[in-house]
Amino acid sequence: MPVSTKPPTRVLPALALAAFACVWLLDLGVVQPNRIVSGTGYGLYAATGWFGAVVVSFLLAVVIVLATRLTPKRFGALILLLTTALMAQPLLLEVFALRKLPEDSAYARIGIGAGFWCLAFFLALMLLETLGRYKASRRLQFSVVLLVVVSWWFCASREGLSSLSLIREYANRADQFSQALTTHLSLSLGAVAISAVLAFGLALAMVRRERLRRPLLGLVSFMQTIPSLALFGLLIAPLGALSAAYPFLQTLGIRGIGWAPAMLALIAYSLLPMVRNTYVALMEVPEPVVDAGRGMGMNERQIFFKVKLPLALPVIIEGVRITTIQAIGLTAVAALIGAGGFGTFIFQGLGQAAMDLVLLGALPTVFLALAADAILSALKFQRAPR
Amino acid sequence: MIELKGVTRRFGDAVAVDNINLTIETGEVCVLVGSSGCGKSTTLRMINRLLPRTSGEILVDGEDINNADPEALRLNMGYAIQSTGLFPHWTVARNIGVVPDLLKWPARKRDERVSELLTLLGLDPATDAIKYPHQLSGGQAQRVGVARALAGDPNILLMDEPFGALDAITRENLQQEMLRIQRHLNKTTVFVTHDIDEALKLATRIAVMDQGRIIQHDTPEAILRRPASAFVENLIGKGDRGLKLLGLRTVGDVMARHLLPSQSEPLVEVLKETDSLRVALSIMVWQNSDELPVFSEAGEAVGKVTREQLLQGGA
Ligand SMILES: Nc1ncnc2c1ncn2[C@@H]1O[C@H](COP(=O)(O)OP(=O)(O)OP(=O)(O)O)[C@@H](O)[C@H]1O
Ligand SMILES: [Mg+2]
Repeated sequence: MPVSTKPPTRVLPALALAAFACVWLLDLGVVQPNRIVSGTGYGLYAATGWFGAVVVSFLLAVVIVLATRLTPKRFGALILLLTTALMAQPLLLEVFALRKLPEDSAYARIGIGAGFWCLAFFLALMLLETLGRYKASRRLQFSVVLLVVVSWWFCASREGLSSLSLIREYANRADQFSQALTTHLSLSLGAVAISAVLAFGLALAMVRRERLRRPLLGLVSFMQTIPSLALFGLLIAPLGALSAAYPFLQTLGIRGIGWAPAMLALIAYSLLPMVRNTYVALMEVPEPVVDAGRGMGMNERQIFFKVKLPLALPVIIEGVRITTIQAIGLTAVAALIGAGGFGTFIFQGLGQAAMDLVLLGALPTVFLALAADAILSALKFQRAPR
Repeated sequence: MIELKGVTRRFGDAVAVDNINLTIETGEVCVLVGSSGCGKSTTLRMINRLLPRTSGEILVDGEDINNADPEALRLNMGYAIQSTGLFPHWTVARNIGVVPDLLKWPARKRDERVSELLTLLGLDPATDAIKYPHQLSGGQAQRVGVARALAGDPNILLMDEPFGALDAITRENLQQEMLRIQRHLNKTTVFVTHDIDEALKLATRIAVMDQGRIIQHDTPEAILRRPASAFVENLIGKGDRGLKLLGLRTVGDVMARHLLPSQSEPLVEVLKETDSLRVALSIMVWQNSDELPVFSEAGEAVGKVTREQLLQGGA
């Protein structure tokens, strides 16, 4: 932990000012008469009254003051302040709902405005910046994120926010939501797992046979260049023909649309980052180290499992990380060919012009990607030689 | 015994090792010396089959090494690598224990061996054992590399400039240590260096190499007295070869020994019987005396040495 005072950071005040500007200039929330009609927006002052406006402005001012001279104590104070602010942010919406939601209309609902998202975004950035400068331990970072997530979860399940449009959309589809979660996770993680096994084999073949390197890399790169939508579409015809020819495939669920073509396309996309990273990682193990292993009397198998693989693992995990994030995103698109997952909500929402339904699909997708990123980064960090 | 018969190694058209013949007796320390790029490492790496030879024969104890299982061959040959090549993902202790592990020694025996070697090479078994290679200085890393080569108790040691990155004092200490180990264990050793003083100090016999050929293969004394060519003469340095000759013998070899060792006043600068004649001469010149008392390691006066004895010993 730092003992001395750090030089003042310009990043934190800049972020705080940006947050200040956004929260005053943009709408904090919207009141909609029903789920389709776009409603009337309210700024910070109009939405939460002078109390909310003062609290938010004061908080941002305090951040700027604290950031001018960063002693260890102030680091602690900043982290505490920003975490609490993020945790409590949904309360702004609750106050807004209490003040502005017309009580007589059953369809009226609260939408989240750009000002709210910007505030959350900048608060999160400031928190990350502070944690980074403080060289916070993994455990502290993890606890902070967990606190915020749990707090938002808790707020969302409270009565005060039940009029939130997003939550209404969820309440109407609670079953579909958990179904979508399962489908989304099994599709993306399944594709990652299968392509990891395939990629490992391909990379090994490339390491063993130099001749295979160019054609294999060319092939997996080519698959990456096909637009995702096109690839999903292109698989419909051959898979449809296959399942028509062999009806038992249909009982397995393999058809022109649905999870089968989605899975194939996802695997095809996942191969490039996996193969490339695994191959590069294995090739970049320093020659003197391999030489030492051989010189000490290891056989080729021992060299591979005791030396090459452990040294390559951080880069391989990095490949898995990139692939997982990519697959979670692409799975959303796969909803277009009936694969299910959170993409279903996104495209339904787009079709009905119901933005909060789009959010109901998009937010969990982003959250899953961030969670995968965090977990695999932690794993990589732990595996890297200290 | 290691025999190289007409061994040649080419890299493409370039000849790195050119038809060399070399016999290294059991228990002998053969030092390969020569300037950079003359083929020393290549020769060494052909002995443990890290490099295949282009032509010729290499025999260990009369058996062609190409008939042996390469892993078994290497497990019996400690190898200290020029660039140390420590495993970056393993601690110092695990690095040193790698050959015992491959030989499937019981964990206790291995751990004892590791801390014994750490102590021997001037590292701390408590603090240094749990470090990772990137936390070591260049010199410490080299010592770990040497410890790793010794760990499996091999019959043959191949050492490629193991003391290259060390300061003069540590280097001197490790050379002494190496001589001491050698007196006890008598391992057949091939040692590569480009430092002629190190070669003179450690070698039973020296092989001087130039452009892939062995120019001269002889004892340190013979190399100093009868250099085979201008190249060797240059390598040993014409100016002080007399002094280097004095450096080959110890005071204990030439002094007049007292019948009984006696305890006596410790002097400022004492001459020990394990010191070389060169050191004795230096002290004599410095103190402007004709005769010096000689002490044992334990600090007892065991004899005396005169200037005449010194000069005759060197001649
Ligand atoms: N893998 C290789 N490919 C091509 N040429 C090589 C290879 N290894 C060594 N050589 C060449 O063989 C010659 C001898 O190399 P070697 O490593 O045996 O030299 P050395 O005597 O150990 O030198 P140094 O004291 O610098 O370590 C050099 O000219 C070198 O360029
Ligand atoms: Mg070399």
